[in-house]
Amino acid sequence: MSEALSIYVARESWVHRLYPLTKLTLAGFMLMGGLALPGPWALYIFWALVTLPLAFLGHILNRLVLATLRVAFPFALSVFLIQGFLWPGGTPLFAVGPLSLKQEGLAFAIASTGRILMVVSSFLWFSLTTRPDHLMGTLSQRGFPTGLSYMIVATLQIAPRFQARASAILDAQRSRGLETEGSLRRRLKALLPLVVPLVLSSLIDVEERALAIETRGFNRPGEKTSLIAIPEAPWEPAARIGILICAVLVVGLGLWLG
Amino acid sequence: MDRIKKDFSTLTLVMIPVAIAINIAVGQSIYTLKIPLYLDSIGTVLVGVLAGPWAGAVTGLLTNLFWGLSGLNVQSAPFATVAAVIGALAGLFSDAGWLRAWWKVILAGLITGLVAAALSAPISAYVYGGVTGAGTDVGVAIFRGMGLNVLPASFAQGVSSDPLDKATTFLIVWLIVQALPLRFVMRFPRANNVKAA
Repeated sequence: MSEALSIYVARESWVHRLYPLTKLTLAGFMLMGGLALPGPWALYIFWALVTLPLAFLGHILNRLVLATLRVAFPFALSVFLIQGFLWPGGTPLFAVGPLSLKQEGLAFAIASTGRILMVVSSFLWFSLTTRPDHLMGTLSQRGFPTGLSYMIVATLQIAPRFQARASAILDAQRSRGLETEGSLRRRLKALLPLVVPLVLSSLIDVEERALAIETRGFNRPGEKTSLIAIPEAPWEPAARIGILICAVLVVGLGLWLG
Repeated sequence: MDRIKKDFSTLTLVMIPVAIAINIAVGQSIYTLKIPLYLDSIGTVLVGVLAGPWAGAVTGLLTNLFWGLSGLNVQSAPFATVAAVIGALAGLFSDAGWLRAWWKVILAGLITGLVAAALSAPISAYVYGGVTGAGTDVGVAIFRGMGLNVLPASFAQGVSSDPLDKATTFLIVWLIVQALPLRFVMRFPRANNVKAA
């Protein structure tokens, strides 16, 4: 399996040994918390008390924080500048030229940044600690349709190759004199010569792939055996129910506080 | 139910990962052209048009979840439902026969763009504080400066970019379908929507 479309980090940790479904439930719990808790500070408390310790247990604290900040920073910057300074009305805190930082805008920006941190880090926490093929193996064992599993695993393998093909087409067209820089009109003109070859060339092998998997019994009914065994600790099903109850409680808390 | 089963033929199942990869690869390479378009739903619309609304919706949903979980574009994951609706709309327009004339194709793209803007605005306002974290934030700033609230400003920004983006996407998909060999297109469950029988 190509690793280019996955940010999974192999570590020997308690979190890495968890059953993927349990990790999915935990990530869902964090996502719920991130979406349901009101601003401005509850989100940061939740982040510090739940997400960061879970990342620490998975030995990925540094990676998670760095990756989260890299994604969240442009949003945070925009939200502070735009919503902080351009908030209509509101109580001005201090002025910079004709603009002033508004108290309401600042509170909104702090809350939004907290929400972005939570949403982004719950996704990242899950993908940093879970191997994509383990997730798929688990899901198919749980009765997830094989068609869907196939689509996901195939995407993981195809997408990195396509990105390579896209840059090869870009180079090829440039070497033929296609201009990809300059005025907007010139750049728009470069659009079709880049997009159409990529799409057409990739569609050509679709039919062959379909025939290939059909001849290998893809449509055969009945249970399929998995090559990878994914261990699950006996206490994990109960833990998942516990996490789900916590998720409901957090949503309730969010509604009550908000 | 039978119809859905027929839509998800082996060819469709193989096509969907390819379409997701197209979305991601084109979306990323457009970035190097620095054009004010996203074009990250060409594959989604293509599947919707050729294999029906359900297959289109699955393609859109999976694209954004993948993009999110792969860490390439984590911020796109909350918009997975919008991507699903875009795929479904492409399928519905194609069912209605709108993919047969170029001007109807553009119209279908514009409408899809409006719907996408209306659906993404609340997500963007709630999760991201109404900003996109990219160059298009100049638009958000202008609309906020005009005194619009967070949600309307986010919607206004969407309306100023999504319809154009989706109309271009639909037009490119239409061009691709015209360029594909008929023998290939006819193997798809809803091929009759795009080629006169």
